[in-house]
Amino acid sequence: MPDSPFWNKRHETMPREQLDALQVRKLRSLVEWSAEQVPYHAARLGDAGVTSESIESLDDLRRIPFTTREEWMQSQIEHPPYGAILAAPEGAAIRYHMTSGTTGRAPIRVLDSMKDWEWIAEMWCYGFWGFGVRPADTVFFAFSYGTFVGFWGAHYACEKIGCLVLPGGNMTTEARVKQIVDMNATVVCSTPTYALRMAQEAHKLGIDLASSPVKRLILSGEPAGSIPATKKLIEDQWGASAGDTAGMTELGTIMVFECSDQPGGTHIIEPHYIEEVIDPASGEPVGYGEQGERVVTSFGRGFIPVLRYRTRDLVVKVPADRCTCGRTLDIYEGGIVGRVDDMKLVRGTNVYPRAVEAIVREFTEIDEFQIHLFTAEGIRDEIEVLVEIPEADADRDTILKKLAVELSGAHEGLRFGVRQVENDTLPRFELKAKRLNDEREVVGGAGERKRS
Amino acid sequence: MQETRMITPPQDRRLNDSELALVEAYNKLVETLEESGDELEPFARHNALKAVAALWQVMNGLDLDPGQLYTLGV
Repeated sequence: MPDSPFWNKRHETMPREQLDALQVRKLRSLVEWSAEQVPYHAARLGDAGVTSESIESLDDLRRIPFTTREEWMQSQIEHPPYGAILAAPEGAAIRYHMTSGTTGRAPIRVLDSMKDWEWIAEMWCYGFWGFGVRPADTVFFAFSYGTFVGFWGAHYACEKIGCLVLPGGNMTTEARVKQIVDMNATVVCSTPTYALRMAQEAHKLGIDLASSPVKRLILSGEPAGSIPATKKLIEDQWGASAGDTAGMTELGTIMVFECSDQPGGTHIIEPHYIEEVIDPASGEPVGYGEQGERVVTSFGRGFIPVLRYRTRDLVVKVPADRCTCGRTLDIYEGGIVGRVDDMKLVRGTNVYPRAVEAIVREFTEIDEFQIHLFTAEGIRDEIEVLVEIPEADADRDTILKKLAVELSGAHEGLRFGVRQVENDTLPRFELKAKRLNDEREVVGGAGERKRS
Repeated sequence: MQETRMITPPQDRRLNDSELALVEAYNKLVETLEESGDELEPFARHNALKAVAALWQVMNGLDLDPGQLYTLGV
């Protein structure tokens, strides 16, 4: 069979009405399985009057109650360590994972079986294959291989495809960069932040990554993989194409991927998920092109059924024909554009870290940055951006002034301080970057102040 | 819901001969493990379970509703 651009062509090019029918069929099975195996879901579905037989169309999905992270966490507290959400006995599991814990909250703990892991890897296969990864590739994983699920599924996906896998756990950044070059890796997987970190390290080592065999980067773990300025910076520094993906521990794997046509967004793997977009305040669905919160229903992981889970991710769904690749899978324009709880209110203006990053990354002289929120004179919210500019001949004054003007212009005239700090003093990250440091004693605009 | 289930090729969609051969292989493996898995030596049983897990994903990718396999150990 000739090389196909699709991992599963029938799935990826399925006409919309067939896709809807498939999702309805799978939803019935999921509801039946959840109601029979998980008393927690049985009670909620029963209260809502939802049975598998009563599901006739995708409109019936909205009769199923939302699930929230808070409810999941509460269940873990009441029924440790996993919560009353398992659909199979613990003894049937082969692996344990948990959320990364970068937010400082208690982690969500998950279990999966042998066949669940086949599915987890399969979702990554859609993404890797769709971005052009093939058996002849040598794939380096800049990943620590711990209990955070991260790229575990991606590793197995590459083995499934038949690639040569280089597992780059427990290595310094210098050792990783050297191994990528020494072993002629053609694909590198990391977070967007760490892709930039490795490029900085290569520069220090006198290694020109753009002339290395690396042709593709698969990015995950942060929204930055779809921020145009960040993506361009990564692609320029590596001389390679960068493809965004996004997943979550609650699903065990990715639910979206960017194809090799790079439409400026990520395709949703709809034969395996229903992805709704809702107004986070009202819970009502929003249409194509409108920003809202992702709500996911997963058909893949049987061990922990996921029904209408409110992710807090902000997305903008657009039709599949926005892309030229031939897939009929809808797209999240710009990938995951932020988090519902990422937004900071500074003197009455909404500030999203992603929007700040999109502007900062336009200034290629800036190596690393941090958003700093603090309280001035005991009452006033202030925001400043701390930047590192390592190049000795950079015009620092002009960069700082111009950045302040652009940040202000993009935020309704909000005054931003921009300050240069010493090189290598801001934190670096391998996993999810945390570039917002909120040290305010009080937060909120005038008249709505409250203790943080 | 019965956990482990044999796959019946769909009436409304034609599978090609290669796909049908995989359905047959999956059904045979599941049947063998259900009926006489305990008689197999550990190396045979556990490698067969891994094979079922891989073929389960083929059935899933073909939308043949393979259900769950937890009681089988997959």
